[in-house]
This record gives sequence, structure tokens and C-alpha cells, in this order.
Amino acid sequence: MPGLDPGLRTPLTRNIRGGDAVSLDAYRKGGGYSGLQAALEMAPKNIVELVKSAGLRGRGGAGFNTGLKWSFVPDADQHPGPRYLICNADEMEPGAFKDRYLMERDPHLLIEGMLIAARAIGAETAYIFIRGEYHLAAERLAHALQEAVNAGLLGQRIMQREFSLRIHLHRSAGNYICGEETALLNALEGRRAIPRAKPPFPQVSGLWGMPTVVNNVETLCNLPCLLALGEDWYRGLGREKDTGSKLFGVSGRVKHPGLWELPMGTPIRKIIEQHAGGMAPGYQLRGFLPGGGSTDFLSPRHLDLAMDYDVIGEAGSRLGTGTLIVLDDHTCPVAMVLNLQRFFARESCGWCTPCRDGLPWVVEILQRIESGLGEKRDLVLLRELARRMGPGTTFCALAPGAAEPLQSSLKLFLRDYVAHIVQRGCPYRHSAKPAAEPLCEH
Amino acid sequence: MLKAGNAQAMATITIDNRQYEVDDGQNLLSACLSLKKNLPYFCWHPALGSVGACRQCAVVLFKDADDQRGTLVMSCMTPVKDGAIYSIDAPTAQDFRAGIIENLMTNHPHDCPVCEEGGECHLQDMTLMSGHTQRRFQGRKRTHNNQYLGPFINHEMNRCITCYRCVRFYRDHAGGTDLQALGRNHQVYFGRQEDGLLDNGFSGNLVEVCPTGVFTDKTYSRHYVRKWDLQTAPSVCEHCAVGCNTAPGARRDGKGDPRQLRRVTNLFHRQINGYFLCDRGRFGYEYANSAARIYTPQAALTQPLIQTTAGSAKVHQSLSPADAVARLAVTIAQMRSGNRRVIGIGSSRSSLENNFALQTLVGREHFYAGLDERSLALLKLVDRIQRDPRVHSPGTPEIERADMVIVLGEDIADTAPRIALAVRQAARSAQIARAGELKIPAWQDDSVRQLTGIRTPLLVASAERTDLDDIASCRVRAAPEQMVALADVLAQALTAESGEIHAPDIAGLDTGEFTALVEQLKQARHPVIVSGCGLQSQELLQAAARLAFAVAGHKEANHRQTDSREARAALYLACPEANSLGLAQLCDARQNLNQLHRERQSEHTPQPTTLLVMEADLYRQLPASVADQLCAGVDEIIQLEIVHNRTSARADLILPAAATPEYEGTLVNSGGLAQRHYAVYEGSGWIQASWRWLADAAAASGELAGAELSGDEETHARLQSLARWRHVTQLSVALAESYPELAPLAELGPDWDQTIEGQKTARQPHRYSGRTAIQAERQVAEYKPLPDDDAPMAFSMEGIQFACQSPLQANNWAPGWNSNQAIHCYQPKPGAARLGHSSGQPLARKAVVFHSDSAAGDAARPTADPSDGFRILPLYRMFGSGELSNYAGAIASVTEEPFAVFHPQDLELLSLTAGQQIAITESGDRWQLLAKVSDTIPRHCIGVSTGFTQMASIPGAYIEREQIAPGDA
Repeated sequence: MPGLDPGLRTPLTRNIRGGDAVSLDAYRKGGGYSGLQAALEMAPKNIVELVKSAGLRGRGGAGFNTGLKWSFVPDADQHPGPRYLICNADEMEPGAFKDRYLMERDPHLLIEGMLIAARAIGAETAYIFIRGEYHLAAERLAHALQEAVNAGLLGQRIMQREFSLRIHLHRSAGNYICGEETALLNALEGRRAIPRAKPPFPQVSGLWGMPTVVNNVETLCNLPCLLALGEDWYRGLGREKDTGSKLFGVSGRVKHPGLWELPMGTPIRKIIEQHAGGMAPGYQLRGFLPGGGSTDFLSPRHLDLAMDYDVIGEAGSRLGTGTLIVLDDHTCPVAMVLNLQRFFARESCGWCTPCRDGLPWVVEILQRIESGLGEKRDLVLLRELARRMGPGTTFCALAPGAAEPLQSSLKLFLRDYVAHIVQRGCPYRHSAKPAAEPLCEH
Repeated sequence: MLKAGNAQAMATITIDNRQYEVDDGQNLLSACLSLKKNLPYFCWHPALGSVGACRQCAVVLFKDADDQRGTLVMSCMTPVKDGAIYSIDAPTAQDFRAGIIENLMTNHPHDCPVCEEGGECHLQDMTLMSGHTQRRFQGRKRTHNNQYLGPFINHEMNRCITCYRCVRFYRDHAGGTDLQALGRNHQVYFGRQEDGLLDNGFSGNLVEVCPTGVFTDKTYSRHYVRKWDLQTAPSVCEHCAVGCNTAPGARRDGKGDPRQLRRVTNLFHRQINGYFLCDRGRFGYEYANSAARIYTPQAALTQPLIQTTAGSAKVHQSLSPADAVARLAVTIAQMRSGNRRVIGIGSSRSSLENNFALQTLVGREHFYAGLDERSLALLKLVDRIQRDPRVHSPGTPEIERADMVIVLGEDIADTAPRIALAVRQAARSAQIARAGELKIPAWQDDSVRQLTGIRTPLLVASAERTDLDDIASCRVRAAPEQMVALADVLAQALTAESGEIHAPDIAGLDTGEFTALVEQLKQARHPVIVSGCGLQSQELLQAAARLAFAVAGHKEANHRQTDSREARAALYLACPEANSLGLAQLCDARQNLNQLHRERQSEHTPQPTTLLVMEADLYRQLPASVADQLCAGVDEIIQLEIVHNRTSARADLILPAAATPEYEGTLVNSGGLAQRHYAVYEGSGWIQASWRWLADAAAASGELAGAELSGDEETHARLQSLARWRHVTQLSVALAESYPELAPLAELGPDWDQTIEGQKTARQPHRYSGRTAIQAERQVAEYKPLPDDDAPMAFSMEGIQFACQSPLQANNWAPGWNSNQAIHCYQPKPGAARLGHSSGQPLARKAVVFHSDSAAGDAARPTADPSDGFRILPLYRMFGSGELSNYAGAIASVTEEPFAVFHPQDLELLSLTAGQQIAITESGDRWQLLAKVSDTIPRHCIGVSTGFTQMASIPGAYIEREQIAPGDA
């Protein structure tokens, strides 16, 4: 098996050429499954330690230390019975398309990552909970899984070790809330996709009451090279405090919207101006959501910040999924926020009040403002509603996430809101969708 | 009772700058409500725990004394912590709570004036409490279609505030499956997949669990009035022997409609019903308003103008109460003068006092229970077993906490439904224990329920499928004989030091399962054994007792030192009727109807005889042929009855008896607890409590008999005391004197003249409206309220209004709390026993060690060769097996027709087909039943619907093949 080059800087996308999926043979030729090999040489708890100290943080958006998450799984003697690994592939964050890219192009990277994680936590059954609309990714994953089974990389006695793993591909019925790990567990069990109360945490009592770890696709894809090339190499990938590399994406009116694997801590300016080619001709940057639809707007003065979890956090937003959405000066910020809020209102699971009944109200108000029927007191109400959806006041993070673009837009783009109200219409001449249109369809 | 070592740990917390001592381990919401602080909530319920969905109960938690801002926390999800500082009144908390209500109200229609929840709506209360008064939402409200959910429950989904309480009660607590949360976001819909009857027997609780008017009582709708216009009093449910406490509501209307009883709601009793009633108990009340109700005395025409075709049925004509009393008095006078024999037939659904009055009238030797031989023998056996010092009858909380439950033969879901609901909670006790290990408190409902895969061992041995099967860890379907064997082998396994125990030969129970059962039983600290009279098997009751004794011995030997809880074994034996055990105290096993029949057949005295039947239908207890003979053999039948039945059709004189919510009396439940029910309303027509008719007639008979009083002195004295009784409490005292074991009756409730600071308890709320207008078309002046001679209660608004001041106040109301949630205002802590509430008195039965009586075999013949005969297995239904509730319209509309269930092979053997009418003949009687097929009923057995409107049950335990034939189409 060929080894990996320690000079590798793009461990996530190293095999990807063109639009086809990397086959098992090609994956192996590129040093694939050497991470698993390395993992099988290690005691499971050492894998956990390695991942913990390498500083791999969850790429789903929360940024929690992956190894630390694994370490909460109780020992087998303490808690006998099965344990589960779940890959959260329910990528539905507005603006995010990074997991799909990985699954469509290099499915074996994910499979190898899952094998390593399963080995670390002692799981013999794993699930890939994939977004229902990801047809191509599901197809390619299914094919890759079969390849792996045929090659003896999945199933009983993998690589002649006392290690077995079955991976089930589960296609989601479609709900943004399934990205929340406990709602995902409920959905996987056939229950309503609503988040669960914590504690118990899934690592202690998750799927069917058994210890369970839920990791994001990109997080798991970080594992093979980390295992194969070691902690020091991995730490060296990051530019700042955070370690490893990351898929960063840019959407909006830039010259080259897209997705690039870059070191953690890459400055925003570099991502937007260098990789995305800067704003499209005739457009000015007004602000951007750094981590997808559920993060606070940042303004052009934040362009020199490093895309590091804590740096973006301190600036008042979140790194989230690392997929930036850019707002230009020709697009109405109110309409953009309305569009996002429509999404969140529709995707609310309906469990807790501030989210279930607050978001449709936000939509109702934004619709009025956008169509020129807004009043100044609506701005007070919007701030109030956003506050009601703040962290700690809701059952899960969906509504606080929805509140982030709303509340930050009210600060950053207050003039635009006021202009809508004073001019009794949208200064950008976007026609808001008519208010009569049903807000939500089941 | 809390022992010193067991004492509840306390925590000192600060709320809005005041310090309080509260029970540790509870959540902050519960603590605040215990402190009588007005903190609004929706999704939390004391019996359902916390899930944190509505976010209404937010308070501010401060890090320390220096923290000025604090953070919002949901009090229901926050365990109280010693030394913690909270604020309910902080502006951030108040604003947030007002905001949540504002959010909830965006979709709630403004239809309070036409909503049946209005006036007792938790949402109304909470909206006011939170201070949301101005609507800012300008959008359209979302709307839903409503569903038809059967004859009990209305559905109005537009009112829904999505608190999830309905599904949490219906699915998680009561085990229902057909009501669910559908859809998502703000369009979540609570309903069924399609229109149809809610198929869980506790669906009526949705009416009380729903904080607003989504689910309302459909039977109440038909004669709806506001809560504040209902008069009420504490009552006890008469529809089974569990003894749930109820708060019936009544109001007369201006049109003279006699149907005054409007609804039944739950009255919290910690040891019995807690917060929930079954549907038979909630909707069975309609019998009191039914067309079959007897309101006036009636006498049979001596020469009927119309010849009836019904043979012995008589044509009746109303007569005045004075004439009716006079007629009964003549009979009694004849008895006093020795010219007539009067045989009294008592009732297991009527109060102890009524039965005692009848017994006093006729004398103990002429008093018979209105039960057949088999039923009374079963009751006497239950009574004997319960006297044994090794067992006790567990209350609902104890059953809910059980770490193993063994149900032997009794289909409690249909015969004692509230107990089945408790057993359903016990199925989760292991999960709750596991949560405890993880430091998750039991009230963290969602967290606890995530610990799936852990279930309390629960053995359900039954004749047929039961509603508890879904939670049973081990299911056995067998004939009673096999259950006896199973219980005995389990008992043996517990007591045996070692040695091999073989699993009994029961289809479906393999050795592995059996070994697991034995092991679970050995490990169990607080097992509960449940059985009862349902299968009509004395052997089974005895086997249940033997198992309980073995458990007691095992507990004594193994767990004594480590546990301060009850050392006696918990044995719950379900009886059939509301006062079965009470009646059993007044007679011995011989005083049954079959014995009476035999005696009447064998002796032929020329003395005229009267059958004085009180609230009992002979034709429910005896085969028609036997009942006919019994009736034909007497000169006169006088019946005191609530509703017309086959016995009243033959009666010469019918006296209208008060139904349970219309008089005061005492009922003894299956656990041997004597509880008093009070008159909720005056009743219509000439109804009065049966004992009053008897007392009136006894008094009148004295004058009639006059000088020619030649009977024995004892009779005379008895009748004199009967004639003197004016208040039911006097009867209770006399009962206590006559029967020392009933002495606790004297302590049950206040005497009629025991007012509180000169005041009686008002039955009508302080907002009762229209009392001067209700009969204005006849009389403008307000009627003088009827006096209550039995309880210090008034049929008016005047008097004590608050449940905290009077134990007799059943109206759940406190300032700011108009809904039933007001109950917490009268509890030291949510879920705890109501302050000052009389929770009944256990009978002072003498402890006698029970010796299992092997001679008391009830099998009519050996089981060795069942090939050409069939074992009769009585089957019960919540709707159908209750005598009185069968008169309730809504219940009758969903009751199945009487049926017989066969194993498919047996059906084939008999050349019958499912869906066909069949006839079973026994003792000259014929039962027409619908043949059903079930592969879960044991072979050579027929499951027969029992307690349905016709004769309650087939008398024998076996029938021959020849006795089964196709019936009329």
C-alpha cells in the first residue's frame, strides 16, 4: 500500500479530479486506507487521545473537539451492549455544499473515516444519515460501500483483525432539524424529528438507548490522513490556533463561487478575493454570513479576520460550516433575511414556542416590510422576537441560529429596513413574494 | 409515612430576595407552585413531568449574589439547587413569559365566548397571569380541519397551542397509539390518521389534560353550561371497584328537564386516581339521565288494561310518594305483626348505609346479597385473603413504583382500568431507576424516556389478549387452571432453597422465559401481584394469595434490613362493583341468591312473602329461569331502583332510588378503603336514597301496625331505630356499632351539623349565575334551597367556597386558577395528597392468617379430558361490562354486541364461522352471542363477553359441546 506524502496540504480533496467519484482502486493508489491500517495498529483509546490532542473540531458547525466527544462514550465493561457511529450527512444549512462535494467525489474517504471512528469508539454498526435530496451522493456512496464490502474493508474481521463494521446508508425524509444530532437520532429510530433533552447525551444514551457518536461528514473525512500522517503533521496544516484544513465555500455575487480546501485560519479576504476572485464586476461587498445561513452577518471591516472558530466567535458570528454567503450592494438585505427566515420557519420542528410560533411571525413582519407595509414599531417587534429566540431560551439551536442573521441585519442594515418603511416599498425594487402565498407546506 | 432515615432532603433557595426551604430533587417549577407562586406553564404536568417545550415557565437564575443580570432558565427543566438564587419577577423573565404567551396567541382564535373551555381554561388563566393583553400580530391565523373522534370527545384544532400534553398523556402515559402529533413547524396537528373513535380507554382525560379547548367533553356539550354554573360535591365513581374520586357537575335548567347531571371530572386522590379517570367512569354518568331512569314511585296495575306480551312483565302506573310509602309500610306492618315474611336483597353497587338500612328492616337472617353464589363466594374469599397480615392492598403510587408486576388472570384494563394505568407506569420504573443511576431525575420525562430498552418485568397471564400486552415482558394466555399452576410454581421457586423448578406446561411459555421470571421475582424488591374476581375462579384467587405469601416470606428473608419500605407483599385483588367488599362485610357466603332460591324451592310456608330488592337486578345475577322461579315464588316484589331493568319489570312496587351522585353514602373499594360520596345535586322527581324510603316506611308502619303489634321485640326495636334515622351519619354510627370492623366509618366525614365557623360548604361556586332567573317563568322569587340532612353542605352559593377551607369543597378553583390546574393550590406540592381532603378510611378488619382452602375448588369437573367440552372464560370490556354505564348513551353507542371468542380450531370443530350468531344454552337459559375467532385464546376455551346488558355471565365453568348451536340470524 502506497504511503502518503507528509507534504500533503489538502488531505480532504487530494484525490479529487473532475466530477467523477474516486474508485476504490484509485483511492487505494492515493494512499487510501493507510489511515485505517494505522488505526488498527493502535489501541482504540489511543486513537481517541490522538484525535483529541490533534485538535480536530467538529466541522458540522458547533466546533466541538471530536476526540473529546468520543471520550464520553463509556467503556465496554461499564456499559456492555452495542454502540453506534452515525455520520451526519444531512447537509441542509443554507449556503453549505461541502459534505455533498466530499461524498460525491471521494466516498471512500468518508468510509475510511467512519472505519477509524468506529474502531475508536467500539461501534460495529454505523449509519450514514444522508439528506434525501442528495441522490447522486447516495448513489455513489452506495456503490463505494459495496466496493468496500467486496474488498473486505467492511463486514467481519476487517483486515484480519478482531474488528467488524456494517455501514447502513439511511436516506433522510428531509428536514433541516435532522442535522441536530438528537433529532437525527429520533428520525433514525422512526420517531418525530424533534431534538431530545440533554442529558443524557448521545454518547451515553443515543440510538435505541445505546452509546452513540454522531459526527459530520467533513469531520470524519479528516481522520484518514490524521491517522496516517500523525498529529504534528495535522497541526501544521492550520495557520492559526485551529488545526487541520477546511473546506471553505463562497456563494453570492463573486466572480468564481466555489469550494476550496484551505488551511484553518485562512483570512476571509483571501478566500473571497483570491479564491473566489473578488466581487463580480459592478458589485460591492456589503456584508457576508461567514458560516452559512444561521450565522451573524459580518461587515467588510471583518475581511481580515482568520477563519478560526474562536476568532469568528469573538467577532460576533460563528465559523459554522465555513461556507460564506456574500451580500452585495444590489441585493436587498431585507429580502435576503426574509428568504432565510422563510426557510427556518418552514423547517422548525414545532417543538418549542419561540421557534415554532416566533419564526412565522418574523416572516409575516418581514414580508410586510418588504412589500412596503411595514411600520417603525415592527423593528422593535423584530428585535424582541429575535431576543426571544436567543440562546438558552429555546429547546435547541435552530431558532437561535435563525435569529443570528436577523438580529445582525437589524444592526448592520438598519438603514435599509427604515428605507423600506419610509419609502413604503423595497428600495432595491425586488418584489417580495405576495403575502397570500402559504408560508409553509408540509 | 416517612421514616427518619428516609426523610426528604431539603434545599434552601432564594426567590426574589426571599429564602425558602423546599424539597430537594424536584424541579424549580414544582417548587414555585408548592410555594403558591403564580408561575405560568403549559407543557409541564405533575403526572407527565417536564419536557421544556412551551418555554412559558422561564425564570431568571443568578450565578451568585453579585450577578445582577442572570440568565433565563426554564423552571420546569431546572432542578432546585441548594443556595441558588432565582427571580420570577425580574423584568427579563416577565417580558419573556409575556412574549411566549404572545407567540402562542398568534394562532389561537378569539373564540372564548363560544368555547366550552371558557371559564376553566388554563390558557385564559396563563394569558392573564403573563399580562399579555394587546395583540400585535397582524397576520392570518393558521387553521386546521377538525376530526370526528367518537361520541366522547370534541376536536377543535384551531385552538391548539401545541403544548404536546395530549400526545404525552395519550401515548406516553396511557399507551394509546391512534392519536399523534402530525406535521411540523407551526402547523403541527394533533389528531388521528383519519376520523374515528379514539381507541384508548383513557381518552376522556384529554379534556382535562388539554390546557385549552381542543379536546372537550362531547357528552357535556349536549347540555353545556359554564364551570361556574355547575354545582358539585366530592363523589366516588360507581362504575367499578377501584373507587376513583370524582367531581360530578350538575345544574337544573329552567324547563324542568329532570336530567341535571352534566358531566364528571376527576377529583384528585393521591392513593387512587391521581389526576386521571377511565372513560367508563367519566362518561358513564349519563345513566343517571337516561330514558330508563325511574323518577317517580310506580305500582303495577292489578288488572292491566293492556295485556303485555312479555309474559311476566307488569304494567306500571305512577303513584304519589306518600302512597308508595304507605304501600311499603303495609308490607312492613304485616311483617311486624308476623303475617308476612320480607326478604331483603342488598346491592354491591349501593352504599353500606343503604344495605344496612335494608338489613335492619328485614333482619340479618332475611338479608341476602344481590349476588349469585359464585360471585359472593369470590368476594368473601377476597375478603379473607386481604385479612392476612402478610399482604396489603397497594395504592396507585405503590403500583406505579413497583419493580415487578404479576397480573394473574384479571383483565384489569377492563375491570379496574385505573389500576391498569398504574401498571402501565410501573412498566417504566426500571427506566426511571436507570435514570437515577445517571443522575437524571424522574421528572425529566424526555430524558428518562430516551433510556429505551429497559423495562420493568411484567408478567401478564390472561385468558385473552389484554390492553397491557404491549408492555408485558412475558405474556401467558391460559385457562385459570394453568395460571394456578404457574403461580404455584413461582411461589415454590421463591421459597425453595434449591432444587429444580420446572416450568408449568403452558403453551407459549418456554423454560428460558420461565427461568427469567423466577430470577426477576427473586430480585424484585417491590413486586406487586394483581388478580381479581374476573375469571370467577376461587382457585386462582387462592393461588395469587399463595404467591403473595411466598413473596412476603422472601422479602422478609432477603430485603428486610436494606429497605424500610413495606414488608408485606402487595396484592391487589380487583372486585367487580363499587361496594362489593362493603356488601361482603354485611353477609356471609351463604346469603346469596342461589341459596335463597334453593330455600324457597324447598320450603313451602303458607306465609305471604315479599321480595324487597334494593338496587340489584336479579336477572343479571341469575339465569332467567331461576330468577323467574324466585319471583314467581313470592307474593310481592318491591324494588328500590335507579333505572328500569328486568327485575323492575316484574315488581309490584318500584321506588325511585337516588343514584350515587344524588345521595350521601359509603362505598368500600377493592383495597378495603371506605370512602364517602356526597350528594352533588338534589335530584329530580321523587328520588331519594334507598335508606330514606325504608326509614320513611318503617316510621309509617309503626302507626299502621298500631295496637296489633305482636311481632317479636327485636324486630320492633330494629324498625324503631330505622324509623328514627334522619341523617346518614347516624346510620354510619349505628353500622359501626353493629359491625366493629366497620368502626372507621364513624370517622369518615363531618356530621351534617358540623359546620365550619357556622358555615356550610357551598355546592355552587361564587360565580354561579341565574339562580333567580332559572325558574322565572314559573316563579320570580328564588326557591329556598333544599336542606341537606346528611352533610354540612348547601345546595346554594352560600357557604365556604374554597377547597382549602373545607374538605367537602370539590370545586377546583383558586384566585387566578380557574381551570382544573387549580388543584396544586390545595396540595403541599404538586402531586401530593390534597390538604385536608378526606381520603377515606381503611376497614378495621381483623387480621386472620389465611389458609388456602383446597376444597374450595370451583372447577365443575376435572380438566383431564376437555376434548368435547369447553371451559368458559369470562371476558370483559370497559364499555359493556358495567351495569349502570350500559345505560349511558355515549357508552352504549360504542359497545360491542355480546360475543363468544373461539380458537380457530375449536370454531372449525364446531362447524361454526366467525361473524355468525351462535346460541349457548345452560340451565334452561339461552345466550345469543356473536361468534368471534382469535388465535390467542387457549384451545378448548370459549371467551364469553361478561356483564353485558343481558344476564351478566354464564353460571357454569364448563359447557358441553352440545350446548353450543348456531343462533338466530
